[in-house]
Amino acid sequence: MTLLQRIKNAVRKRSIHICYVNTGSCNGCDIEILACLSPRYDIEQYGIYVHNNPREADVILITGAMSAQWIDKLPDLWDRVPGPKAAVTIGNCPISGCAFNRPGSLIDPPVSKYIPVAAAIPGCPPRPTEIISAILNVADTLFENYEIKSRGKKP
Amino acid sequence: MKKVVDVSLPIGPVHPCFKEPARIKCETCGERVIATEVELGYVKKGIEKIMVGRPWQETIFLAERVCGICSVVHNTAIVGALEKISSIAVPPRAMYLRIILNELDRMQSHLLANYSYCYTIEHETLAMYLLNLRETIMDAIEIMTGTRIMAAYVVPGGVREDISAATADAVRAATFHIETELPRFVKMFETGPMIALRSKGIGILSVEDAKKSGVVGPMARASGIPCDARDQVPLYQELGWHMITRSEGDNFARIMLRFDELFQSASIIKNALAALPSGPVRLGGRVVSGRCRNVIEAPRGNLTYDIAVDEVGRVISVAIQTPSIMNVEVGSHAMMRNLASIADVTATFISTDPCIACAER
Repeated sequence: MTLLQRIKNAVRKRSIHICYVNTGSCNGCDIEILACLSPRYDIEQYGIYVHNNPREADVILITGAMSAQWIDKLPDLWDRVPGPKAAVTIGNCPISGCAFNRPGSLIDPPVSKYIPVAAAIPGCPPRPTEIISAILNVADTLFENYEIKSRGKKP
Repeated sequence: MKKVVDVSLPIGPVHPCFKEPARIKCETCGERVIATEVELGYVKKGIEKIMVGRPWQETIFLAERVCGICSVVHNTAIVGALEKISSIAVPPRAMYLRIILNELDRMQSHLLANYSYCYTIEHETLAMYLLNLRETIMDAIEIMTGTRIMAAYVVPGGVREDISAATADAVRAATFHIETELPRFVKMFETGPMIALRSKGIGILSVEDAKKSGVVGPMARASGIPCDARDQVPLYQELGWHMITRSEGDNFARIMLRFDELFQSASIIKNALAALPSGPVRLGGRVVSGRCRNVIEAPRGNLTYDIAVDEVGRVISVAIQTPSIMNVEVGSHAMMRNLASIADVTATFISTDPCIACAER
Protein backbone atom coordinates (compact mmCIF):
# COMPACT_ATOMS: atom_id res chain seq x y z
CA MET A 1 0.00 0.00 0.00
CA THR A 2 1.43 3.33 -1.00
CA LEU A 3 1.72 6.27 1.34
CA LEU A 4 -0.84 8.13 -0.76
CA GLN A 5 -3.35 5.32 -0.31
CA ARG A 6 -2.77 5.30 3.45
CA ILE A 7 -3.40 9.04 3.63
CA LYS A 8 -6.55 8.65 1.55
CA ASN A 9 -7.81 5.91 3.84
CA ALA A 10 -7.20 7.98 6.95
CA VAL A 11 -8.83 11.08 5.51
CA ARG A 12 -11.88 9.37 4.07
CA LYS A 13 -12.64 7.78 7.41
CA ARG A 14 -12.83 11.18 9.10
CA SER A 15 -14.60 13.20 6.44
CA ILE A 16 -17.90 11.81 5.26
CA HIS A 17 -20.31 14.11 3.46
CA ILE A 18 -23.95 13.23 3.54
CA CYS A 19 -26.94 13.98 1.38
CA TYR A 20 -30.36 12.76 2.36
CA VAL A 21 -33.02 12.05 -0.20
CA ASN A 22 -36.67 11.70 0.72
CA THR A 23 -38.25 9.33 -1.79
CA GLY A 24 -41.71 9.36 -0.28
CA SER A 25 -41.21 8.91 3.43
CA CYS A 26 -43.49 10.28 6.13
CA ASN A 27 -40.83 12.62 7.57
CA GLY A 28 -40.20 10.46 10.62
CA CYS A 29 -36.82 9.19 9.40
CA ASP A 30 -35.83 12.60 8.03
CA ILE A 31 -36.45 14.14 11.41
CA GLU A 32 -34.30 11.49 13.08
CA ILE A 33 -31.47 12.37 10.67
CA LEU A 34 -31.92 16.01 11.66
CA ALA A 35 -31.83 15.00 15.32
CA CYS A 36 -28.34 13.55 14.67
CA LEU A 37 -27.20 17.12 13.98
CA SER A 38 -28.17 18.28 17.44
CA PRO A 39 -25.36 18.81 19.97
CA ARG A 40 -26.51 15.79 21.96
CA TYR A 41 -25.60 13.32 19.20
CA ASP A 42 -23.23 15.74 17.45
CA ILE A 43 -22.72 13.95 14.16
CA GLU A 44 -19.89 16.33 13.22
CA GLN A 45 -17.58 15.02 15.94
CA TYR A 46 -17.22 11.86 13.83
CA GLY A 47 -16.42 13.92 10.76
CA ILE A 48 -19.83 13.45 9.19
CA TYR A 49 -21.15 16.59 7.53
CA VAL A 50 -24.69 17.00 6.29
CA HIS A 51 -24.56 19.18 3.18
CA ASN A 52 -27.54 17.82 1.33
CA ASN A 53 -25.89 18.30 -2.00
CA PRO A 54 -25.55 15.15 -4.13
CA ARG A 55 -22.58 16.49 -6.07
CA GLU A 56 -20.34 16.57 -3.02
CA ALA A 57 -21.76 13.62 -1.12
CA ASP A 58 -20.00 10.40 -0.13
CA VAL A 59 -22.95 8.70 1.50
CA ILE A 60 -26.55 9.15 0.37
CA LEU A 61 -29.17 8.43 2.98
CA ILE A 62 -32.41 7.32 1.38
CA THR A 63 -35.67 7.43 3.27
CA GLY A 64 -39.07 6.55 1.96
CA ALA A 65 -40.77 3.92 -0.09
CA MET A 66 -39.91 4.99 -3.64
CA SER A 67 -42.83 7.02 -4.89
CA ALA A 68 -43.58 7.09 -8.61
CA GLN A 69 -42.05 10.56 -9.05
CA TRP A 70 -38.64 9.33 -7.92
CA ILE A 71 -38.32 6.22 -10.09
CA ASP A 72 -36.50 8.04 -12.88
CA LYS A 73 -34.97 10.76 -10.70
CA LEU A 74 -33.16 8.60 -8.12
CA PRO A 75 -30.85 6.71 -10.56
CA ASP A 76 -30.14 10.09 -12.16
CA LEU A 77 -29.21 11.55 -8.80
CA TRP A 78 -27.07 8.49 -8.00
CA ASP A 79 -25.06 9.04 -11.20
CA ARG A 80 -24.22 12.57 -10.13
CA VAL A 81 -22.61 11.48 -6.87
CA PRO A 82 -18.83 11.25 -7.26
CA GLY A 83 -17.08 8.02 -6.20
CA PRO A 84 -16.32 6.51 -3.77
CA LYS A 85 -19.96 6.51 -2.83
CA ALA A 86 -22.43 4.47 -0.86
CA ALA A 87 -26.18 4.44 -0.42
CA VAL A 88 -27.64 3.73 2.99
CA THR A 89 -31.39 3.31 3.35
CA ILE A 90 -33.07 4.39 6.56
CA GLY A 91 -36.22 2.87 7.96
CA ASN A 92 -38.50 0.05 6.91
CA CYS A 93 -39.94 1.86 3.91
CA PRO A 94 -36.96 1.50 1.51
CA ILE A 95 -36.67 -2.19 2.42
CA SER A 96 -40.28 -3.34 2.20
CA GLY A 97 -42.60 -0.36 1.88
CA CYS A 98 -43.66 -0.75 5.54
CA ALA A 99 -47.32 0.10 6.12
CA PHE A 100 -47.72 1.65 2.68
CA ASN A 101 -47.01 -1.52 0.68
CA ARG A 102 -50.61 -2.40 -0.08
CA PRO A 103 -52.43 -2.98 -3.36
CA GLY A 104 -53.41 0.36 -4.83
CA SER A 105 -50.68 2.50 -3.31
CA LEU A 106 -48.40 4.58 -5.52
CA ILE A 107 -45.07 3.21 -4.32
CA ASP A 108 -42.65 0.66 -5.72
CA PRO A 109 -40.24 -0.66 -3.07
CA PRO A 110 -37.53 -1.80 -2.51
CA VAL A 111 -35.06 0.96 -3.32
CA SER A 112 -32.37 -1.66 -4.09
CA LYS A 113 -34.15 -2.34 -7.41
CA TYR A 114 -33.00 1.04 -8.66
CA ILE A 115 -29.60 1.76 -7.14
CA PRO A 116 -27.03 -0.44 -5.34
CA VAL A 117 -27.63 -0.19 -1.60
CA ALA A 118 -24.69 -0.74 0.74
CA ALA A 119 -26.57 -0.95 4.03
CA ALA A 120 -30.11 -0.77 5.35
CA ILE A 121 -31.17 0.39 8.79
CA PRO A 122 -34.57 -1.04 9.73
CA GLY A 123 -36.89 0.63 12.21
CA CYS A 124 -39.92 2.86 12.02
CA PRO A 125 -38.05 5.14 12.52
CA PRO A 126 -34.56 4.03 13.69
CA ARG A 127 -32.96 5.98 16.52
CA PRO A 128 -30.35 8.65 15.76
CA THR A 129 -27.63 6.55 17.40
CA GLU A 130 -28.37 3.64 15.07
CA ILE A 131 -28.12 5.93 12.05
CA ILE A 132 -24.74 7.28 13.16
CA SER A 133 -23.28 3.86 13.88
CA ALA A 134 -24.45 2.48 10.54
CA ILE A 135 -22.90 5.34 8.59
CA LEU A 136 -19.59 4.94 10.42
CA ASN A 137 -19.51 1.18 9.83
CA VAL A 138 -20.31 1.47 6.15
CA ALA A 139 -17.82 4.23 5.48
CA ASP A 140 -14.98 2.37 7.18
CA THR A 141 -15.31 -0.78 5.12
CA LEU A 142 -16.41 0.68 1.78
CA PHE A 143 -14.01 3.56 1.41
CA GLU A 144 -10.88 1.73 2.59
CA ASN A 145 -8.45 1.01 -0.28
CA TYR A 146 -11.07 2.21 -2.75
CA GLU A 147 -8.55 2.71 -5.58
CA ILE A 148 -7.14 -0.84 -5.19
CA LYS A 149 -10.57 -2.44 -5.02
CA SER A 150 -11.96 -0.54 -7.99
CA ARG A 151 -8.95 -1.20 -10.25
CA GLY A 152 -10.09 -2.65 -13.55
CA LYS A 153 -13.72 -1.76 -12.95
CA LYS A 154 -15.44 0.96 -14.86
CA PRO A 155 -15.91 4.08 -12.76
CA MET B 1 -47.68 45.29 -18.65
CA LYS B 2 -45.37 42.57 -19.88
CA LYS B 3 -43.30 40.97 -17.18
CA VAL B 4 -39.55 41.02 -17.71
CA VAL B 5 -38.18 37.67 -16.67
CA ASP B 6 -34.45 37.03 -16.82
CA VAL B 7 -34.10 33.50 -15.57
CA SER B 8 -36.57 30.90 -14.38
CA LEU B 9 -34.65 29.44 -11.47
CA PRO B 10 -35.66 26.12 -9.93
CA ILE B 11 -34.93 25.42 -6.25
CA GLY B 12 -35.05 21.77 -5.22
CA PRO B 13 -36.21 19.04 -5.04
CA VAL B 14 -33.08 18.09 -3.07
CA HIS B 15 -31.89 21.28 -1.44
CA PRO B 16 -29.87 22.00 1.73
CA CYS B 17 -32.75 23.98 3.25
CA PHE B 18 -35.52 21.50 2.64
CA LYS B 19 -36.30 18.58 4.86
CA GLU B 20 -38.54 17.19 2.18
CA PRO B 21 -38.60 17.29 -1.59
CA ALA B 22 -40.43 20.23 -3.11
CA ARG B 23 -39.58 22.34 -6.08
CA ILE B 24 -39.93 26.12 -6.17
CA LYS B 25 -39.77 27.73 -9.57
CA CYS B 26 -38.71 31.37 -9.27
CA GLU B 27 -39.07 33.91 -12.03
CA THR B 28 -36.31 36.38 -11.43
CA CYS B 29 -35.45 39.80 -12.75
CA GLY B 30 -31.90 40.41 -11.66
CA GLU B 31 -31.79 39.49 -8.00
CA ARG B 32 -35.46 40.37 -7.49
CA VAL B 33 -37.93 37.50 -7.48
CA ILE B 34 -41.08 38.42 -9.37
CA ALA B 35 -43.18 35.30 -8.90
CA THR B 36 -42.83 31.79 -7.60
CA GLU B 37 -44.59 28.53 -8.11
CA VAL B 38 -44.41 25.53 -5.78
CA GLU B 39 -44.43 22.11 -7.39
CA LEU B 40 -45.46 19.24 -5.18
CA GLY B 41 -46.02 15.55 -5.76
CA TYR B 42 -42.69 13.95 -4.91
CA VAL B 43 -43.90 11.98 -1.90
CA LYS B 44 -47.42 11.02 -2.95
CA LYS B 45 -48.15 7.54 -1.63
CA GLY B 46 -51.95 7.33 -1.76
CA ILE B 47 -52.60 6.70 1.93
CA GLU B 48 -56.31 7.55 1.74
CA LYS B 49 -56.77 5.06 -1.07
CA ILE B 50 -55.17 2.16 0.79
CA MET B 51 -57.17 3.02 3.92
CA VAL B 52 -60.45 2.26 2.14
CA GLY B 53 -61.77 -1.25 2.72
CA ARG B 54 -59.54 -1.92 5.73
CA PRO B 55 -60.72 -2.47 9.30
CA TRP B 56 -60.41 0.78 11.22
CA GLN B 57 -57.87 -0.74 13.63
CA GLU B 58 -55.38 -0.78 10.75
CA THR B 59 -56.21 2.71 9.55
CA ILE B 60 -55.17 4.19 12.90
CA PHE B 61 -51.59 3.11 12.26
CA LEU B 62 -51.73 4.28 8.66
CA ALA B 63 -53.08 7.67 9.76
CA GLU B 64 -50.15 8.00 12.13
CA ARG B 65 -47.77 7.49 9.24
CA VAL B 66 -49.24 10.38 7.26
CA CYS B 67 -46.71 12.62 8.95
CA GLY B 68 -43.72 11.84 11.11
CA ILE B 69 -43.46 15.24 12.77
CA CYS B 70 -47.05 15.52 13.96
CA SER B 71 -47.88 11.80 14.20
CA VAL B 72 -49.61 12.24 17.58
CA VAL B 73 -52.13 14.72 16.23
CA HIS B 74 -53.07 12.51 13.28
CA ASN B 75 -53.55 9.65 15.71
CA THR B 76 -55.75 11.80 17.96
CA ALA B 77 -57.79 13.12 15.03
CA ILE B 78 -58.70 9.76 13.51
CA VAL B 79 -59.40 8.20 16.91
CA GLY B 80 -61.57 11.21 17.80
CA ALA B 81 -63.56 10.75 14.58
CA LEU B 82 -64.08 7.02 15.25
CA GLU B 83 -65.16 7.75 18.83
CA LYS B 84 -67.68 10.31 17.61
CA ILE B 85 -69.20 7.80 15.18
CA SER B 86 -69.62 5.05 17.76
CA SER B 87 -70.26 7.35 20.77
CA ILE B 88 -67.42 5.78 22.76
CA ALA B 89 -66.86 7.55 26.09
CA VAL B 90 -63.37 8.69 27.04
CA PRO B 91 -62.47 8.74 30.76
CA PRO B 92 -61.35 12.15 32.12
CA ARG B 93 -57.82 10.99 32.95
CA ALA B 94 -57.31 9.85 29.36
CA MET B 95 -58.53 13.24 28.09
CA TYR B 96 -55.88 14.96 30.19
CA LEU B 97 -53.16 12.55 29.04
CA ARG B 98 -54.13 13.16 25.41
CA ILE B 99 -53.81 16.89 25.91
CA ILE B 100 -50.41 16.50 27.57
CA LEU B 101 -49.07 14.38 24.70
CA ASN B 102 -50.56 16.65 22.05
CA GLU B 103 -48.97 19.71 23.61
CA LEU B 104 -45.60 17.93 23.87
CA ASP B 105 -45.93 17.11 20.19
CA ARG B 106 -46.79 20.73 19.40
CA MET B 107 -43.75 21.92 21.32
CA GLN B 108 -41.32 19.66 19.45
CA SER B 109 -42.90 20.59 16.12
CA HIS B 110 -42.67 24.32 16.79
CA LEU B 111 -39.07 23.98 17.98
CA LEU B 112 -38.26 22.08 14.79
CA ALA B 113 -39.94 24.76 12.66
CA ASN B 114 -37.97 27.51 14.36
CA TYR B 115 -34.78 25.46 14.06
CA SER B 116 -35.37 25.10 10.31
CA TYR B 117 -35.93 28.82 9.93
CA CYS B 118 -32.79 29.77 11.89
CA TYR B 119 -30.80 27.21 9.85
CA THR B 120 -32.15 28.66 6.61
CA ILE B 121 -31.18 32.22 7.49
CA GLU B 122 -27.75 30.81 8.41
CA HIS B 123 -27.92 31.49 12.13
CA GLU B 124 -26.59 28.05 12.93
CA THR B 125 -25.79 28.71 16.60
CA LEU B 126 -29.36 29.50 17.53
CA ALA B 127 -30.57 26.65 15.32
CA MET B 128 -28.41 24.13 17.21
CA TYR B 129 -29.55 25.48 20.59
CA LEU B 130 -33.17 24.99 19.56
CA LEU B 131 -32.54 21.52 18.14
CA ASN B 132 -30.86 20.48 21.37
CA LEU B 133 -33.80 21.84 23.35
CA ARG B 134 -36.07 19.71 21.19
CA GLU B 135 -34.28 16.58 22.40
CA THR B 136 -35.58 17.34 25.91
CA ILE B 137 -39.14 17.15 24.58
CA MET B 138 -38.39 13.99 22.61
CA ASP B 139 -37.10 12.44 25.84
CA ALA B 140 -40.31 13.39 27.62
CA ILE B 141 -42.36 11.82 24.81
CA GLU B 142 -40.19 8.69 24.98
CA ILE B 143 -40.60 8.40 28.75
CA MET B 144 -44.34 8.86 28.44
CA THR B 145 -45.10 6.60 25.46
CA GLY B 146 -42.08 4.35 24.98
CA THR B 147 -40.89 5.68 21.64
CA ARG B 148 -39.79 8.96 20.12
CA ILE B 149 -41.95 9.04 17.01
CA MET B 150 -45.03 6.98 16.00
CA ALA B 151 -46.14 6.37 19.57
CA ALA B 152 -49.66 4.99 18.84
CA TYR B 153 -50.53 6.24 22.32
CA VAL B 154 -54.11 7.33 21.64
CA VAL B 155 -56.50 4.42 21.13
CA PRO B 156 -60.31 4.42 20.82
CA GLY B 157 -61.77 4.74 24.31
CA GLY B 158 -58.77 6.30 25.97
CA VAL B 159 -55.01 5.99 25.85
CA ARG B 160 -52.77 2.94 25.61
CA GLU B 161 -51.31 3.04 29.11
CA ASP B 162 -51.37 5.10 32.27
CA ILE B 163 -48.49 7.26 33.41
CA SER B 164 -46.85 6.81 36.80
CA ALA B 165 -45.91 9.55 39.25
CA ALA B 166 -42.26 9.26 38.17
CA THR B 167 -43.23 9.77 34.52
CA ALA B 168 -45.31 12.81 35.44
CA ASP B 169 -42.30 14.20 37.28
CA ALA B 170 -40.08 13.62 34.24
CA VAL B 171 -42.53 15.43 31.94
CA ARG B 172 -42.82 18.26 34.48
CA ALA B 173 -39.03 18.52 34.62
CA ALA B 174 -38.84 18.67 30.82
CA THR B 175 -41.34 21.54 30.61
CA PHE B 176 -39.53 23.32 33.44
CA HIS B 177 -36.25 22.94 31.50
CA ILE B 178 -37.89 24.48 28.43
CA GLU B 179 -39.39 27.35 30.41
CA THR B 180 -36.03 28.22 31.96
CA GLU B 181 -33.84 27.77 28.87
CA LEU B 182 -36.05 29.10 26.09
CA PRO B 183 -36.31 32.81 27.15
CA ARG B 184 -32.58 33.22 26.46
CA PHE B 185 -32.97 31.95 22.89
CA VAL B 186 -36.12 34.00 22.32
CA LYS B 187 -34.19 37.07 23.40
CA MET B 188 -31.39 36.17 20.99
CA PHE B 189 -33.91 35.94 18.18
CA GLU B 190 -35.85 39.04 19.16
CA THR B 191 -32.87 41.35 19.54
CA GLY B 192 -30.49 39.97 16.91
CA PRO B 193 -29.86 42.72 14.34
CA MET B 194 -28.88 40.29 11.57
CA ILE B 195 -31.95 38.15 12.22
CA ALA B 196 -34.13 41.26 12.03
CA LEU B 197 -32.61 42.17 8.66
CA ARG B 198 -33.46 38.74 7.28
CA SER B 199 -36.91 38.45 8.91
CA LYS B 200 -38.68 41.74 9.58
CA GLY B 201 -40.85 43.00 6.77
CA ILE B 202 -40.07 40.02 4.52
CA GLY B 203 -42.73 37.66 3.22
CA ILE B 204 -45.63 39.72 4.50
CA LEU B 205 -49.02 38.03 4.44
CA SER B 206 -51.65 40.76 4.70
CA VAL B 207 -54.93 40.21 6.53
CA GLU B 208 -56.91 40.46 3.27
CA ASP B 209 -54.77 37.85 1.54
CA ALA B 210 -54.93 35.60 4.58
CA LYS B 211 -58.73 35.84 4.75
CA LYS B 212 -59.10 35.26 1.03
CA SER B 213 -56.84 32.23 0.90
CA GLY B 214 -58.17 30.36 3.92
CA VAL B 215 -54.79 30.08 5.60
CA VAL B 216 -54.81 28.31 8.99
CA GLY B 217 -52.73 27.77 12.08
CA PRO B 218 -49.76 29.87 13.24
CA MET B 219 -49.61 31.58 9.83
CA ALA B 220 -53.16 32.91 10.17
CA ARG B 221 -52.60 33.90 13.79
CA ALA B 222 -49.39 35.75 12.88
CA SER B 223 -51.45 37.80 10.40
CA GLY B 224 -54.00 38.69 13.07
CA ILE B 225 -56.74 36.18 12.30
CA PRO B 226 -57.96 34.29 15.39
CA CYS B 227 -58.15 30.79 13.96
CA ASP B 228 -57.52 27.87 16.29
CA ALA B 229 -59.58 24.68 16.63
CA ARG B 230 -58.64 24.47 20.31
CA ASP B 231 -61.26 27.14 21.13
CA GLN B 232 -63.93 24.44 20.55
CA VAL B 233 -62.49 22.23 23.30
CA PRO B 234 -63.71 23.24 26.78
CA LEU B 235 -60.90 21.36 28.51
CA TYR B 236 -58.30 23.60 26.88
CA GLN B 237 -60.02 26.69 28.29
CA GLU B 238 -59.97 25.14 31.76
CA LEU B 239 -56.23 24.54 31.43
CA GLY B 240 -55.50 28.17 30.63
CA TRP B 241 -55.43 28.24 26.84
CA HIS B 242 -56.04 31.57 25.14
CA MET B 243 -55.69 32.76 21.57
CA ILE B 244 -52.31 34.27 20.72
CA THR B 245 -52.23 36.54 17.70
CA ARG B 246 -49.77 38.97 16.18
CA SER B 247 -50.47 41.64 13.63
CA GLU B 248 -47.32 42.00 11.50
CA GLY B 249 -47.67 38.88 9.34
CA ASP B 250 -44.01 38.73 8.32
CA ASN B 251 -41.41 35.99 8.84
CA PHE B 252 -40.41 37.44 12.22
CA ALA B 253 -44.01 37.40 13.49
CA ARG B 254 -44.51 33.78 12.49
CA ILE B 255 -41.41 32.61 14.34
CA MET B 256 -42.15 34.75 17.42
CA LEU B 257 -45.71 33.43 17.50
CA ARG B 258 -44.37 29.87 17.62
CA PHE B 259 -42.10 30.87 20.51
CA ASP B 260 -45.11 32.34 22.36
CA GLU B 261 -47.10 29.18 21.76
CA LEU B 262 -44.24 27.10 23.15
CA PHE B 263 -44.54 28.88 26.49
CA GLN B 264 -48.30 28.48 26.41
CA SER B 265 -48.02 24.75 25.69
CA ALA B 266 -45.58 24.35 28.58
CA SER B 267 -48.03 26.04 30.95
CA ILE B 268 -50.93 23.90 29.65
CA ILE B 269 -48.89 20.74 30.33
CA LYS B 270 -48.04 21.97 33.82
CA ASN B 271 -51.70 22.77 34.59
CA ALA B 272 -52.84 19.43 33.18
CA LEU B 273 -50.33 17.50 35.29
CA ALA B 274 -51.41 19.41 38.41
CA ALA B 275 -55.10 18.75 37.78
CA LEU B 276 -54.70 15.17 36.52
CA PRO B 277 -57.77 13.25 37.78
CA SER B 278 -57.50 9.65 38.92
CA GLY B 279 -59.43 6.76 37.42
CA PRO B 280 -59.20 4.40 34.46
CA VAL B 281 -57.50 5.44 31.23
CA ARG B 282 -59.24 3.09 28.83
CA LEU B 283 -62.85 2.07 28.40
CA GLY B 284 -64.43 -0.17 25.79
CA GLY B 285 -67.14 0.38 23.22
CA ARG B 286 -68.90 -1.04 20.21
CA VAL B 287 -68.32 0.05 16.64
CA VAL B 288 -71.39 1.11 14.70
CA SER B 289 -71.69 2.36 11.16
CA GLY B 290 -71.75 6.07 10.47
CA ARG B 291 -69.95 9.04 9.11
CA CYS B 292 -68.32 11.92 10.92
CA ARG B 293 -66.08 14.91 10.48
CA ASN B 294 -63.56 15.76 13.17
CA VAL B 295 -61.48 18.94 13.28
CA ILE B 296 -58.59 19.37 15.68
CA GLU B 297 -55.69 21.76 15.92
CA ALA B 298 -52.43 20.34 14.56
CA PRO B 299 -49.15 22.23 15.12
CA ARG B 300 -49.61 23.75 11.65
CA GLY B 301 -53.35 24.46 11.75
CA ASN B 302 -56.71 22.80 11.38
CA LEU B 303 -56.58 19.10 10.63
CA THR B 304 -59.81 17.54 9.38
CA TYR B 305 -60.69 13.87 9.15
CA ASP B 306 -63.89 12.94 7.34
CA ILE B 307 -64.38 9.22 7.76
CA ALA B 308 -67.24 6.76 7.11
CA VAL B 309 -67.29 3.20 8.43
CA ASP B 310 -69.75 0.33 7.89
CA GLU B 311 -71.31 -1.86 10.59
CA VAL B 312 -68.42 -4.36 10.75
CA GLY B 313 -65.89 -1.57 11.15
CA ARG B 314 -64.48 -1.34 7.65
CA VAL B 315 -63.63 2.10 6.31
CA ILE B 316 -65.90 3.05 3.40
CA SER B 317 -64.38 6.42 2.65
CA VAL B 318 -61.87 8.72 4.25
CA ALA B 319 -60.78 12.25 3.44
CA ILE B 320 -57.94 14.02 5.19
CA GLN B 321 -57.45 17.76 4.97
CA THR B 322 -54.09 18.83 6.30
CA PRO B 323 -53.10 22.42 7.06
CA SER B 324 -49.87 22.45 5.05
CA ILE B 325 -51.47 22.46 1.62
CA MET B 326 -53.20 25.80 2.28
CA ASN B 327 -50.14 27.31 3.89
CA VAL B 328 -47.75 26.24 1.12
CA GLU B 329 -50.03 27.52 -1.65
CA VAL B 330 -50.63 30.88 -0.02
CA GLY B 331 -46.88 31.08 0.47
CA SER B 332 -46.29 31.04 -3.26
CA HIS B 333 -49.24 33.25 -4.19
CA ALA B 334 -49.13 35.99 -1.57
CA MET B 335 -45.83 35.92 0.31
CA MET B 336 -43.13 34.92 -2.14
CA ARG B 337 -43.87 37.71 -4.61
CA ASN B 338 -41.61 40.66 -5.29
CA LEU B 339 -38.95 39.55 -2.83
CA ALA B 340 -35.70 41.44 -2.81
CA SER B 341 -33.45 38.41 -3.04
CA ILE B 342 -33.51 34.74 -4.01
CA ALA B 343 -32.32 33.91 -0.48
CA ASP B 344 -35.60 35.24 0.90
CA VAL B 345 -37.55 32.65 -1.09
CA THR B 346 -36.25 29.72 0.93
CA ALA B 347 -36.50 31.65 4.20
CA THR B 348 -40.12 32.59 3.51
CA PHE B 349 -40.99 29.09 2.37
CA ILE B 350 -39.50 27.56 5.52
CA SER B 351 -41.22 30.14 7.76
CA THR B 352 -44.58 28.69 6.67
CA ASP B 353 -43.43 25.42 8.29
CA PRO B 354 -44.22 23.31 5.22
CA CYS B 355 -44.92 19.64 5.85
CA ILE B 356 -44.88 18.12 2.38
CA ALA B 357 -45.54 14.60 3.63
CA CYS B 358 -48.75 15.86 5.27
CA ALA B 359 -49.79 17.80 2.21
CA GLU B 360 -49.36 14.97 -0.27
CA ARG B 361 -49.91 11.84 1.81
